[in-house]
Amino acid sequence: MDKFVTLNKQDLNDFIVKLSRSQPVMAPVARGCKSFVFESVDSAKAIALHYIPTILPPKKYFFPQRETLLTYNKTTPAWDPVLESRKMAIFGVHTCDLAGIQCLNMVMSASPQDNNYNARKEGITIIGLECNNYCDEYASCNVMDNHLPNGGYDLFFTELPDAFMVHVNSNAGERIVNDIGFFSAATPKHTQQLEEMRARKREIFKPEVKAGHKQLRGIFAGAFDSRQWDRIGERCVACGNCTNVCPTCYCFDVRDEINLDFNTGTRGRVWDSCQNEEFAQVAGGENFRKQRGQRQRHRYMRKFNYPVERFSRYFCTGCGRCSRACMAKINLKETIDALAEEKR
Amino acid sequence: MKKMKVAFFDFTCCEGCQLQVANMGESLLEVLDLIELVTFREVMSERSEQYDVAIVEGSITTSHDVERIKKIRETAKVLIAYGSCAAIGGINGMKNNFGLEEIREYVYKKDARFFDTIPTRAIHQVVKVDYAVNGCPVYVPEFVKVLKAALSGIPYRVPDYAVCVECKLNENECMYDKGITCFGPVTRAGCNSWCINNNNICYGCRGLVSNPALNGQKDILEKYAVPLPWIENKMNMYNKPRELGIDDPAKTELRKLES
Ligand code: SF4
Ligand code: SF4
Ligand code: SF4
Ligand code: SF4
Ligand code: SF4
Repeated sequence: MDKFVTLNKQDLNDFIVKLSRSQPVMAPVARGCKSFVFESVDSAKAIALHYIPTILPPKKYFFPQRETLLTYNKTTPAWDPVLESRKMAIFGVHTCDLAGIQCLNMVMSASPQDNNYNARKEGITIIGLECNNYCDEYASCNVMDNHLPNGGYDLFFTELPDAFMVHVNSNAGERIVNDIGFFSAATPKHTQQLEEMRARKREIFKPEVKAGHKQLRGIFAGAFDSRQWDRIGERCVACGNCTNVCPTCYCFDVRDEINLDFNTGTRGRVWDSCQNEEFAQVAGGENFRKQRGQRQRHRYMRKFNYPVERFSRYFCTGCGRCSRACMAKINLKETIDALAEEKR
Repeated sequence: MKKMKVAFFDFTCCEGCQLQVANMGESLLEVLDLIELVTFREVMSERSEQYDVAIVEGSITTSHDVERIKKIRETAKVLIAYGSCAAIGGINGMKNNFGLEEIREYVYKKDARFFDTIPTRAIHQVVKVDYAVNGCPVYVPEFVKVLKAALSGIPYRVPDYAVCVECKLNENECMYDKGITCFGPVTRAGCNSWCINNNNICYGCRGLVSNPALNGQKDILEKYAVPLPWIENKMNMYNKPRELGIDDPAKTELRKLES
């Protein structure tokens, strides 16, 4: 399965309308003054084709902020697992976020498998969308090697002057192309336009930090005792934004909630964050990461060091969300630069 | 399950939090099935001196209050500090910004000498508190959670992380991105970012997290050119009684877990 088709730009709306009649379609839409979120759409009119990374990544459809894991009944007694799966297509996923989903797929399929995540994943079709330009100055997708498509989607759209070049990458993708229609075979003109666009991209997308992709791990592995963590810790307010918006964070807290009958209830999970005061606190009150600097170090190590060992890949996609959302203007690119300088 | 006798009491407050109970709607009926309400001035006229659970609203601001809350504590098996005035001292804490004499004369003018006054304290700064419901006013879904915990005898911990956490999970656009100052980053969560969900800023009504990065927060506000005295005023609004140097209600819970 590896073929290219095109969709005329004026047909995008009809495509989305028809697709949304076959299954819910989630796509980036504007929220407020300068933010975007993935939301259900039924036409292309609401979709922001040129958007900066959404407040929360599309991760929320695979691993919702809050979800029920089981329901229980104390008298029966019974514990019934809840596995939700909903058929949906996510349209407009940028390459950085595709990489984020790839990371989570690895984590959630490693033993022990996360059944809730995998059940949801089963129902989801992913339609990627290329960035012809940088979203903004917080991005570091080039150094993370995520500025070009690298799998992880069923269909992938690239905007050309009058059409979208569409890479068909799976049977599910092919079914959409055939069932929804509006697509034509790619012509040599379109192929050439795609090549031209990619050549322009090579001029625009350059490493965003003072270190190369391969050097990053070494920089972080040797930075455990760096002074930078204290400096960051002094500014950090532990709001948790950096972790809550990250496409590759997957920590959660499990909470039981009994109903007012005091007999039945649910067990659910809620996203948790290593930046929260009580995250590393254990019975007796001991907190293993009391300092905000220690927590920040942990977050960075969980992106650039530890996962390389376990999964042979960085768990930072370069999406820039953490820097955009940081209340204290702590910037991932600046942190990497400072650590790289220190190492020199 | 035998129905627990529940009594509401109010100290220095606006009784707005008790009004929240009257506003509970459906869940109030469910809750009333589980408990026997014996004293609740806001909605009933009978009173009883026998109760298992005391739900206490308001802060302690006179020596008479101190005596009264001690009596309540002696009678009640479980004491719930209800609303920010009770849980953290709340708005009444602003009094502690002034000399007691000065503030007494300002308020009562020539009759000042008839009115006894002491620095504002939260309930746990005077007697042991088993549960706290922060908020001005309380967030009803959290109150229901606390009540369930109290009735089943398990601890409830007020979250000790920022309102921003809940705000992000709710995917609100950040107020700072709209050019508006918000106290979410240093305020204790648990209200599900109630105000921001409704297009308002967080005023910090649940009080500061236990370990706030006040310098960090001041940095943020200075960066957005908010004047420092204004910030200090705002931070004072709910948090003044903290300076009396008494534990955090969350720690009361910890003590309980330890014992
Ligand atoms: S660490 Fe920051 S830039 Fe990297 S993936 Fe997470 S949010 Fe994006
Ligand atoms: S970080 Fe790169 S891939 Fe992601 S939205 Fe920005 S430009 Fe696109
Ligand atoms: S977003 Fe910034 S201030 Fe908030 S926890 Fe992360 S580093 Fe700290
Ligand atoms: S709006 Fe307020 S609570 Fe929400 S993220 Fe921004 S600062 Fe935090
Ligand atoms: S958002 Fe802030 S002001 Fe509003 S209820 Fe929550 S803590 Fe109080």
